[in-house]
Amino acid sequence: MRQYAMRRLAYLPLIAGLVSVITFFTLRLPWAGDPVTYMSTQNTTVEDQERLRRELGLDKPVLVQFGIWLGDVVQGDFGETFRGRQPVLDEVLRRFPATFEIMFLSLGFTTLFGVTFGVIAAVRQNTFFDYGLRVFAVFGQSVPDFFLLILLIVLPSIWWNYTHPIGGHVSIFEDPVRNLRLYVPPTLLLAVGGSALMMRVTRSAMLEVLRQDYIRTARAKGLSAYAVVVRHGLRNALIPIITLAGNYLVALFFGAVILEQVFSINGLGQFFLISAAQRDFPVMQFLVLYSALVVVGLNLIVDLTYALIDPRIKYT
Amino acid sequence: MSSVSEALRPLEYVPRRPSRVVRLGRLARQHPTGVFGLLVIVGFVVLGVFGPALAPYDPRELRAGPVLQGPSLAHPFGTNALGQDIFSRVIAGARISLIISFSAVFIGGSIGSFLGIVSGYFGRWLDYLIQRSGEAWAAFPSIVFYFMLITAFGQGVKTIILAIAIGALFGGSRVLRSATMVEARSGYVEAARAIGASEVRIFFRHVIPNVLPLTVVLMSTTLGSAILAESALAFLGIGVEPGTPSWGIDMSGENITVARLGYWHVVVFPGIAISLVVLGANLLGDALRDIWDPRLRH
Repeated sequence: MRQYAMRRLAYLPLIAGLVSVITFFTLRLPWAGDPVTYMSTQNTTVEDQERLRRELGLDKPVLVQFGIWLGDVVQGDFGETFRGRQPVLDEVLRRFPATFEIMFLSLGFTTLFGVTFGVIAAVRQNTFFDYGLRVFAVFGQSVPDFFLLILLIVLPSIWWNYTHPIGGHVSIFEDPVRNLRLYVPPTLLLAVGGSALMMRVTRSAMLEVLRQDYIRTARAKGLSAYAVVVRHGLRNALIPIITLAGNYLVALFFGAVILEQVFSINGLGQFFLISAAQRDFPVMQFLVLYSALVVVGLNLIVDLTYALIDPRIKYT
Repeated sequence: MSSVSEALRPLEYVPRRPSRVVRLGRLARQHPTGVFGLLVIVGFVVLGVFGPALAPYDPRELRAGPVLQGPSLAHPFGTNALGQDIFSRVIAGARISLIISFSAVFIGGSIGSFLGIVSGYFGRWLDYLIQRSGEAWAAFPSIVFYFMLITAFGQGVKTIILAIAIGALFGGSRVLRSATMVEARSGYVEAARAIGASEVRIFFRHVIPNVLPLTVVLMSTTLGSAILAESALAFLGIGVEPGTPSWGIDMSGENITVARLGYWHVVVFPGIAISLVVLGANLLGDALRDIWDPRLRH
């Protein structure tokens, strides 16, 4: 298994290199937007533009620019943002905890509710409860998450005169109560769509497993309902659930961007959103590289988890 | 001789195949939610095409009524902070959502399907290349991709269509790949090859028409997520131009601030519009998938 993981990780530089090249040259296509023009105002002279271009290193040939960037990245330097001229890595690290917490809580809620209700729906198949959950799942997948988050701001303020806190990230280690009051309600709502999907997948996986002979055997030998459903049933239904959780975590970054926008939280989502709108090349290059690393790592973890859950799966 | 003509005479007791209308009616009764979805999507298309003509006010007209008025007979959904009629804006907002989601789904769906069919029919290294790229693609977060395209090409309808289309590109390729593999090994393809039809002819005349209905199913199942993506990008302010009547834009920025002060109608009606259309698209997609290919159900 160690060998397998090593072999998979050996692809990492290849993938990282590939996405970096694609991004770098897409951003500098002749018909792509020019950040210097974007940063210019009415009062910017041609000399100013030339100077700015030199300062940002955009005056050199594209291949030379790429060489310089690659050389810096290999040494752990991801460059400076075009706008604020701050090191990209510092800007990212400063905003990381807020986004991490949003994604961590949302994934937690999604798994908790999705798996629990999915199992219940499968055990109580074709009952009122099952139908209710399935209807909820259809609606949960159709309502945009930003609509739910806006309702969280709007409705409590009308009904109970309660205003949900906006902005102002506090570390959970400094003030846990304020931190959770800021993050728990929105992440719960952000988890609605994911829970709906997770529920559908869990339900169908569980229905498949519960038909198996060993479940009948487990029931016949008098095991408790919990042991049959959770220990014998759920464990064997986990593989599609874990796969979905991995994919969902990647997709959840979109949700984090939206949540940060609605609640004015200065996290990674806001940072990347603003950088995209302002054509900040070094930030985008960092983002793509970073996403590639996260995705490759995450997929590896998901694959290795399969072997932990199911001893029949072996990697050599 | 007479015995032959007798044998060719149609049997009288064979029940006639029910007419098209009857069969459609039966199908509709079996899939009531699909009919609901179809009605919603038809309504969405009608509003998208004729919306501005149907709207009681010009959606961009300032002071169409008093500022921030609640729902009333003159303004069924009320007015926003600029005095624009929200009912008219919701109707007009269907257009940009329709243009972007349909073009993105059509472009992404047809190219993706073609790649899937090629992958399934020709197999070998081509199959490997397309499927591995598809997997890598699916693993990459869509929002990162949107961000990158917007950084490179700036905001605008074309960038959004391109971004959503490419995002949906490989979604269906795997399903079409397996459907094509089944067709390519079927008897009639073998027969065609036996009488000397060229590979190109078999591919375009026999295989493609037989897997084409699946393409429609796939497009309809991705329509909902395309509409969601469009509205989310507009909401984030990196979608269509500001000022365009768009459901996502109408729920962002100052409209949220206003809604917090108690003017809920400003954001709630566009939100309901998006949710309803996405719900319709999802229900229609599910029904079409069940009718055409129950194997796709997960």
